Amino acid sequence: MPECENPLWPCAMTGAAACLAGFSGLQVVIHGSSGCYYYPASLLHAPLHGTFILESEVVFGSENRLNDVIEELAGTGGRIAVITTCVPSIIGEDIRAILAAHDVLLVDSPGFTGDLETGYRAALDALHPVVDPDRNGVNIDGVSLADPFSRGNVQELIRLLATASVAVGTIFSSDRLERIQQAAPFTICTNDDVRSGVGTYLGSTLGFEAIQETFTNLAGKFDDADIDPVLREAGVQEERVIHACDKYLRRCDPPSVTVFAGAAYALFAAQALERYLDAAVLFVGTRNEPPGSCYPIGKVTELGAVRTHIQQSAPDLVIGSSFERSVSNGRAFVGLIPPLREKVRLSHQPVAGIGGTLHFIESVLNACRDHKPGTT
Amino acid sequence: MTLNPSPSNSCRFGGCTLTGALSVTSHVRDAVSVVHGPKGCTHHNFSLLHATALDNDVVHIPEMFSTGLAETEIIFGGEEALDRTLRSVSRLDPAAVFVLSTCAVETIGDDVRMVCSVPRGIPVIPVPTAGFLGGPFQEGVNNALIALAGMAGPAVANGGVNIIGEKNLEYEVNENFAEVVRLLDALGLPVNIRFVHDLNMDQLPRLGAAQLNILRDPALVPVGTYLCQRFGTPYIPSFPLGLSGSITFMESVAGACALDCRDATEKERALQEEMFCDFADLAGYTICVNPAVTDPDGLRKVLEVADALKLDITPSGCPVPLPPDPPVGIMGMRRMLHRWRRALHA
Repeated sequence: MPECENPLWPCAMTGAAACLAGFSGLQVVIHGSSGCYYYPASLLHAPLHGTFILESEVVFGSENRLNDVIEELAGTGGRIAVITTCVPSIIGEDIRAILAAHDVLLVDSPGFTGDLETGYRAALDALHPVVDPDRNGVNIDGVSLADPFSRGNVQELIRLLATASVAVGTIFSSDRLERIQQAAPFTICTNDDVRSGVGTYLGSTLGFEAIQETFTNLAGKFDDADIDPVLREAGVQEERVIHACDKYLRRCDPPSVTVFAGAAYALFAAQALERYLDAAVLFVGTRNEPPGSCYPIGKVTELGAVRTHIQQSAPDLVIGSSFERSVSNGRAFVGLIPPLREKVRLSHQPVAGIGGTLHFIESVLNACRDHKPGTT
Repeated sequence: MTLNPSPSNSCRFGGCTLTGALSVTSHVRDAVSVVHGPKGCTHHNFSLLHATALDNDVVHIPEMFSTGLAETEIIFGGEEALDRTLRSVSRLDPAAVFVLSTCAVETIGDDVRMVCSVPRGIPVIPVPTAGFLGGPFQEGVNNALIALAGMAGPAVANGGVNIIGEKNLEYEVNENFAEVVRLLDALGLPVNIRFVHDLNMDQLPRLGAAQLNILRDPALVPVGTYLCQRFGTPYIPSFPLGLSGSITFMESVAGACALDCRDATEKERALQEEMFCDFADLAGYTICVNPAVTDPDGLRKVLEVADALKLDITPSGCPVPLPPDPPVGIMGMRRMLHRWRRALHA
């Protein structure tokens, strides 16, 4: 087969931009062509700058152009971060030497070095996060601008931490730049696929079970924490989920489902569907390296492979991105990863936290009801 | 999208040749496009084209393959990867394969034409692109159209009109086409083919059969010139823009096709009057327009309609939205004026 048919996941350069652009006080410059600039700018909806290099700068060197951009941005607010793209990396300019005169953070993350997660990690490493042992609160981790649910996740976890009377530490990666150097000693996570590794990991917040476990861990670290309201709310809301799913199952068979997402979201979805709807999980396709799992699982990063899996497994329900929806042949569909373009989306919905599971199950039930035989 | 393209230097914002070319080749529905470069370049473009298709309620998925160059190929060359991909793609038996290179490939110096020249039993068409090294977006569009036109031979005239170089990434691409069709209908002229929008390779031989080519905009003049030289087909350099543009367009088309258009233009003027009545409530409002969002010609068209509706334009007026490209025909104007009314009543 060809090397890659309709690749579904962004490159390392985009991943680096997704990380850096989440920090206010950092001006992110894509050092490359306008073509390399427009994609992350449209995906991330964040202010990015570009050097927009031209052919002459490839031939004679991009030093002057890069310096021009840096000098124009210097003093206009915040530290500058430069992300290199394929061509500047290939022509072998010593970008670090070019930037030596400026206080600039350099992230060498050309697209050919890997996928989104590779670049995200490279950018986070370049930021050198530091834990401040005296900092109160807990960090919120796994927040990437490339994730359409990231803003909803942050809002939901801030709400839950406030309910538990625990302060918020640093949000990776959606915070003020200076707070990277003052991270709290403990961390809870919204999406383990883009974990920072900063602070002691107290657990995930995907699904009710994880929330209960993570907040119990949190109570063990914070004497002043009052997690009872969170646990009570989780219990009440899980009952609502069970009731809604039970009602669905009184009239309908459990759906068979194929899930495509990053590993963390994909397994959350598979487990929730099995737990609450007795769904048959036919296949879990991950955009990144898959962990061990009780489900049939594999890495799937091209559209042809997605199409084949859907055709072979013939699920009632497909979870994924707009790409999956395009080849799902009219099956019930719920969006979980970018891009999500088939609907107008204005509000910030979570995947993590209590609200995340509610939103996910609600979407699944509505999608399945809409596709019930006889539904017009 | 939040653009922050500092420092300002407009020649740098022309976009990517590859994207321009793919916006054409991906609309040849039974062909595939091979992008020779890192797979991120293919993903970026696939994602963009997929999003555009969804916006336009099109279910067709652009068929694109990446040679998937990684660090090893960047260091040692990617010609083998291209050859391997072309062999694999050939087995799928598409009607044609377009091969597009990227700036990374141009920088490492792969000989794409040489690899494409190997016989594979299907047409393999290299399109000159090299990301930004090949020029801006429009250059990619023009190169792809010319490469594709080069595959069409002479054809028997059929009296139709070709639509050349529609902006396939434009949100209103089909609405603009419909407006041109409405004006052509009024002149009794059928569309021959949309070159290239939702096209199959078996339609390509009809390219030279048209009596007239209508270009989407003057940036396509090199394509119009090429088609004129190859098939002898004259061209109109632009879709109808603005109020006076619609009448001029009809007169130009009628002139090129030796038709009497007096009745048709009279009816069009009546439609324009009807539109003025529908938006007469806007008279007397004070608006401001941002000249940076449209070209000078487009701005003139907008000022023309503002003048006709007796709107005052001052810097302190209510900002009204301008489309990135000037509105096409009366229907385009109407949609713009509805947005102005929304802004004025907000």
